[in-house]
Amino acid sequence: MSNKILEGLYYSKSDEWVKVENDVAAIGITFYAQDQLGDIVYLEEVKTGIRLKKGDTLTTIESVKAVAEVFSPISGEVIEVNADVINDPSQINQDPYGNGWFVKIKMSQPDETKELMSAADYSEYRKE
Amino acid sequence: MKLIFEKSVPGRDGYSLPEDQFPKMNIKDFLPEKYLTKDKKNLSEVSEVDVIRHFTKLSKFNYGVDDGLYPLGSCTMKYNPRINEKMASLTNFTYAHPFSSPDMVQGSLELMYRLDQLLCEINGMNQFTMAPASGAHGELTGILVMRKFFLDRGEKRHKVLIPDSAHGTNPASAAMGGFEVVEIKSNERGTVDLESLSQAMDNETVGLMLTNPNTVGLFDEGIVEIEKIVHGKGGLLYYDGANLNASLGINRPGDAGFDVVHLNLHKTFSTPHGGGGPGAGVIGVKSKLIPYLPTPIVSFDENLKKYFFKDVGPKSIGMVRSFWGNFAVLVKAFTWILSLGPDGLYQCSKTSIINANYVLAKLKEYYKPAYDRYCGHECTLTGREYKKYGIKTLDIAKRLMDYGFHPPTIYFPHFEPYADETIMIEPPESEGKEILDDFIKAMIAISKEAKENPDLLKSAPQRTPIGRTDDVLAVKRPILTYDDELKFKD
Amino acid sequence: MRYIPSTEEQLKEMLREIGVSSFEELIDSIPKEVRLKGKLDLPAALSEQELEEEIGGIAQKNADFYNLKPLIGAGAYRHLVPEAERALLQREEFWTCYTPYQPELSQGTLQSIFEFQSYISRLTKMEVVVPSIFDCASAAAEGVLMSLRLTHRRKIIVSSLLHPHFKEAIRTYIEPHDIKIVEIPFHEGMTDIEKIKQAVDEDTSAILIQSPNFFGSIENITEISELAHQKKAMLIQVIAEGMSLALLKSPGEMGVDIVVGSTQSFGLDLNFGGPYNAFLATKKEFIRQIPGRIIGETVDRQGRRVFVMTFRAREQDIRREKATSNMCTNHNLNVIASNIYLSLMGTEGLYQCALLNTKNAHYLEEQLLKTGNFEKIYQYPYFNEFLIGYRGDIENLNMTLLEHKFIPPLAIQSFYPDKELENALLFAVTEVFTKDELDKIVRILSK
Repeated sequence: MSNKILEGLYYSKSDEWVKVENDVAAIGITFYAQDQLGDIVYLEEVKTGIRLKKGDTLTTIESVKAVAEVFSPISGEVIEVNADVINDPSQINQDPYGNGWFVKIKMSQPDETKELMSAADYSEYRKE
Repeated sequence: MKLIFEKSVPGRDGYSLPEDQFPKMNIKDFLPEKYLTKDKKNLSEVSEVDVIRHFTKLSKFNYGVDDGLYPLGSCTMKYNPRINEKMASLTNFTYAHPFSSPDMVQGSLELMYRLDQLLCEINGMNQFTMAPASGAHGELTGILVMRKFFLDRGEKRHKVLIPDSAHGTNPASAAMGGFEVVEIKSNERGTVDLESLSQAMDNETVGLMLTNPNTVGLFDEGIVEIEKIVHGKGGLLYYDGANLNASLGINRPGDAGFDVVHLNLHKTFSTPHGGGGPGAGVIGVKSKLIPYLPTPIVSFDENLKKYFFKDVGPKSIGMVRSFWGNFAVLVKAFTWILSLGPDGLYQCSKTSIINANYVLAKLKEYYKPAYDRYCGHECTLTGREYKKYGIKTLDIAKRLMDYGFHPPTIYFPHFEPYADETIMIEPPESEGKEILDDFIKAMIAISKEAKENPDLLKSAPQRTPIGRTDDVLAVKRPILTYDDELKFKD
Repeated sequence: MRYIPSTEEQLKEMLREIGVSSFEELIDSIPKEVRLKGKLDLPAALSEQELEEEIGGIAQKNADFYNLKPLIGAGAYRHLVPEAERALLQREEFWTCYTPYQPELSQGTLQSIFEFQSYISRLTKMEVVVPSIFDCASAAAEGVLMSLRLTHRRKIIVSSLLHPHFKEAIRTYIEPHDIKIVEIPFHEGMTDIEKIKQAVDEDTSAILIQSPNFFGSIENITEISELAHQKKAMLIQVIAEGMSLALLKSPGEMGVDIVVGSTQSFGLDLNFGGPYNAFLATKKEFIRQIPGRIIGETVDRQGRRVFVMTFRAREQDIRREKATSNMCTNHNLNVIASNIYLSLMGTEGLYQCALLNTKNAHYLEEQLLKTGNFEKIYQYPYFNEFLIGYRGDIENLNMTLLEHKFIPPLAIQSFYPDKELENALLFAVTEVFTKDELDKIVRILSK
């Protein structure tokens, strides 16, 4: 396994990752997803305070030649938005698992992480 | 090169107007100041000579069909005959005001009427409307006609089936028509998967939008079955005419059961693309759909022996534009049909099909085709094999420019697992064997370069007026007008 | 066949290379049931001379329009078209090329569109210009759909003095989307602002006002824009006569959110109604919701200034059913035509031309009223188009004008059945008329 997939995170089939600390989940998109999109130029702003159900559209992300919807892999309330990445979305390309995070969600149903994939499973899922 | 604004010299002018014969009239006497612009709006100040040179120079940065092969798949970049242009520029046509009384425009009306008849025969349809301005505009019109048809019958259908190989305009038009889009997968033959179609087609579905031959260039041999499935559930069949150039005099969409067709007169019917238009996206329908067409249509009064605009009636979807159609484009298509006749039309399709299969046969060992079978008027190859040399399909396309060709369509169609990294080549009938041979040679040479000297491809094009562009910067630092640029410089 | 270079012999050779013995083998996948039996029933091919005679003959059945000067406008205006523009448009590089997807081979088209966007931005004082939508009707409809995406509201307010075709097209476009349309009646030839006040509410997505409107009158855009913004609705100004932009206050100075304007007046022939062109101009903050193509500046690998199609991720070929519009082909060649036109006219020329339109129109109206055969119906400010009542028989007036080679004005009753407009004529007077001709018109209509 390379640095393209990080141990300790949860992964969704639509290529989002989730990093859990207590009841707060940080969310971003995977190396694979940003690589598919190419140079990312725009991330639609998300407002703090909105409540999302698992599978709801969290935001849309735009590269020069593609647009993708980002779905929330987890239910809960958006408590923090990464303003830096909205100002400079290229950070998603440069550091998808670090500075490229999108939002933090206070989870309402932490058990939902069980329905997500582990790093090993995701690696298998995205094997070429 | 410099922008026109950068050539501006204060006090210079390039216009010719009659002398002001009302020097004593002051505009402020009859128009209150609050409505008027304070200052003259600043455009540019250049002479006629400056303008001629500026645009002549600009034109030399373009590549057109007259410059050479333009094998864009699904675009039918064929030769645009000069006689078409001359006929469309007759002043009795070009100076005709759209609200003139019918007596004054009998010629324009006759041309529209006769073009309708020709197109009905070529396509096996019953009535065309000349209103839509482009293929996508025709799609929207067709979708709205289908919608109205079902509403009128009290049927609630809210879905449209569209194959994954379809042009993006199909789902976009269906969505504008208020429909939900259901994607139908292509099978291992490159055509509509009949099983998936049967499952998806139900009585809440309007029908299927199909391009045939489809965008991979393959004729959908399941058309007879497709027709049964769609009509069997009371649905309608929509024909996207982007690829009609494979069918002239060979098969007609109407005979295969299509209920609505749109034609791109700027593709099959030789009218110029104009760097993105104007074209015309006329649509034809079967009799049962005539009452829903946009209003008006041209009709002929047998008693008075006169043409006139007839209101389509209360079931019409209404107008989709102002006035009657892209008339100048209609004249060109009409001229082209008359100049070819039935044999010439057949020869166009026959030649374009042979051309595409010839290119396919010669290139398939170098660029693995999406499907290895005979194609229609275009063939779909792929650049997948070159990924291992670090080469993208885009690099192949850019390198072709250095050989003096316009590249084919790339990355479209795209559907996994059959069609990715696609190179869709459409060599229409106006391309002779020698130029195809040159193109084939270039493609083979590029294949060799990709393996032996990939940097040649990655740094291509070198022989064009500009090099590859930074499309990311264009979005990140949006400069959309000259004034944006000035601000940016500050 | 002169458009098909390959000979039968060459085609046979190609078939051999493909590895088939006949063309039939290539089209084997087309089921016999759907094949055309026999030939298309079409007239046999015509030679060039025969084409000229045939189609020239059809054209002869039209009036000799070149020598007829129109007193009618109503969304289609005859203005002077410079010969330099016509000559430049003959360059095949502009008209035989495709949409500029490959910027390396289409800088001519791309730079020209960028320049046009800059001109329109200066004429409208708007930041973002979509250069080409088919015509003013479809552009107005696209503007409405854009406002619906931005506001997520369900109602639009439309002036009854929008061009009737534009109104119809808007209805057609929004019909599937369950949107309420409120039409505002007119009062004294202008949109009734009191009625707008009553109609605009928290569910209003946009107010659409044409100015100059279908009767030619200049609307109080600033006032209406305030009404719209009080309820956070958008104001869309529609401009059917682009020439008016040279003289009148810019939409951007009056608080307009979206401007759609026909550029037919900028160097495009009447062509019996098409193809014309319209732009859609708006504010930068709305850029991700604009329909159609837009050109932007960037650099190439060598760092040179170049132009590309940009903000592409909204478009149908990328976003499919979620695209902001289905538009692909637009009316680009007409953008280039208008760019050349505006370059030739320049700052001074366009202003003088617009001024001449206004003077001609006001002179004619004043002189017609003096004859006693005409009467003023409404008092309103106008640019080059005005309504006037005729006391005589309109059929006779039409015949008289035609005899003297003028296309009669529009009898407005055909679109507005109002009693007070029974004998109202909509005159459009552009720079193509000389003072002598206007005097002649007055003379023949004073009898």
